[in-house]
Amino acid sequence: MESVVNFFQYFWDIRETVTAMAGRHAWMSLFGVLLGTFTAVPMGIFVSRNKRVSGYAIDLAGMLYTIPSLAVLGFFLPFLGLGWMPTIAALVIYSWLPILRNTVTGIVGVDASIKEAARGMGATSFQMLVRVELPLAMPVIMAAIRTVTVLTVGITTMGALVGAGGMGDLIFQGISMMDNNLILAGTIPVATMALLFDQLLGLLERRLKVSAGIT
Amino acid sequence: MTREISVELRNVDKVYDTAKVVDGVSFSIKKGEVLVLIGPSGCGKTTTLKMINQIIPHTAGNILVNGEDVTKLDPVELRRSIGYVIQYIGLLPHLTIEENINFVLQLTKRPKKEQQERALELIETVGLPADYLKRFPRALSGGQQQRVGVARALAADPAILLMDEPFGAVDPLTREQLQNELMRLQETIKKTIVFVTHDMQEAFKIGDRIGIMKEGKLVAMGSSMELVNSDDEFVRDFIGRGALFDVLDTISVTRVLRKDIPTIREGEHFDKESKMNGWDNILVLDERDAFLGYVSIENIDASGKISGDAVQRVADAFPAELSIKKAIEEMLYGGRTWLPVAGDDRVFKGIVTFDSCAGLLSKEGGS
Ligand SMILES: Nc1ncnc2c1ncn2[C@@H]1O[C@H](COP(=O)(O)OP(=O)(O)O)[C@@H](O)[C@H]1O
Ligand SMILES: [Mg+2]
Repeated sequence: MESVVNFFQYFWDIRETVTAMAGRHAWMSLFGVLLGTFTAVPMGIFVSRNKRVSGYAIDLAGMLYTIPSLAVLGFFLPFLGLGWMPTIAALVIYSWLPILRNTVTGIVGVDASIKEAARGMGATSFQMLVRVELPLAMPVIMAAIRTVTVLTVGITTMGALVGAGGMGDLIFQGISMMDNNLILAGTIPVATMALLFDQLLGLLERRLKVSAGIT
Repeated sequence: MTREISVELRNVDKVYDTAKVVDGVSFSIKKGEVLVLIGPSGCGKTTTLKMINQIIPHTAGNILVNGEDVTKLDPVELRRSIGYVIQYIGLLPHLTIEENINFVLQLTKRPKKEQQERALELIETVGLPADYLKRFPRALSGGQQQRVGVARALAADPAILLMDEPFGAVDPLTREQLQNELMRLQETIKKTIVFVTHDMQEAFKIGDRIGIMKEGKLVAMGSSMELVNSDDEFVRDFIGRGALFDVLDTISVTRVLRKDIPTIREGEHFDKESKMNGWDNILVLDERDAFLGYVSIENIDASGKISGDAVQRVADAFPAELSIKKAIEEMLYGGRTWLPVAGDDRVFKGIVTFDSCAGLLSKEGGS
């Protein structure tokens, strides 16, 4: 009981530091997801035109996905130096597989008769993409973005190891000092943030599904 | 009178790898004509249809739309100028009914106001309430969705409609309703329609001409009566024995009317010498030309007047909008050999007899 009170007391004392770190953590995570989305979705659109190519692309993204995050951070250090940049780069790489895969699945999965009708009515391939394929694939793509966002909030923690800051600073400091209060003060906001983002995107996803006529 | 040719296929082939799925198909469709393509599953009907708007490019031969070779046209423009209705309807599930109907107008960036007006007009044309415009396709039944499919195909007012088993996925009652609506609509819109089906009755009902396909080839083409009278064994087998009555049910009794029978208005004089045309009876009409009955030549006196009350009253006239099949049934069940026929204004039009019905069969198609 005493330790719980202790923790809250401690947490309250460092609340300003925590808020600042959480803010930095959040923007790095979101920036990573955004950059990942804006690279993976176009890639997904591009490779979805060809079954073989999309197979290779998904395999490649899958391989990148299995590399430990520490290794990815280490890999980018020589190019991007210390700080937030290698962290963002790692986040982008981790976001690729789910978003790429779901973009391809979503586009390829659009009902053939719907596409045929649109083509038969004279949609150009660009009109087909923006008016038919993307809107109908959107819920599937959103689901991936949601998964990636949760994942990313966790991975951003590792960024502290390359000087990116964020909640990882508290956690790793806590680990090296074997201070549980410090570890908790870092972990709880990270977990809360992940849950919060997940819920918000879940809400967005449902709205997209409704406007996509899928319920 | 020769009408303009709207769609023409000249020796068209479609080859996939080594399989020739459409083989030397030629036909031409006049403006405003409904051509039905029918045949067993896999015979190449859909492929033939989709080559017209180049959703499937043909391998050999020429396809002309309004006299122009389709390979010389921009495929997107070509498709926008042709209405397209498919069996699986293919409504866009993320768009409202209004947006679905206006899909082509949106692709061509027509003004918003024009789009709204057009959607409102078309939803009424296909017999759906206007408040359906704001709904999504999933809220509609199959039959209603297909009505929207038809409305959507008409949005850009194309001269040509391609319809691939459009009523194949709805229940038989709805199908009949949709067929009737299409035919009623066609009377006013007069589109050139290529209609694919595997339902012979539907073909008889809808088609001005019917083309029968088999293994990629067009093996017969003609009006329903021509096909029923065909000597070709495959054609006979394919359309089946019961087909004659199905065909007769699609032809109006007005096609077999005899109008040469003499008539007299009640109270008027009749010239026996010059007007009998070899008949023994004269039909009696009232002052508005509605049918009353008939009178034998013996009961007309020298002055040309009907003597006494010699007029034989028979049952009401047969409605002209009904089919030959219905007239034959009426005669068979009523023990009659002829029926007077009148329009819905009750004006007498002529008579139908067993012989005049049979005449249609022997007259090689009778068109
Ligand atoms: N993309 C394709 N590749 C190879 N064969 C095809 C393809 N599309 C259709 N076919 C074949 O062409 C034939 C005609 O098909 P289709 O025109 O759809 O027939 P129908 O509409 O008369 O049922 C069928 O045997 C079908 O298997
Ligand atoms: Mg077919």
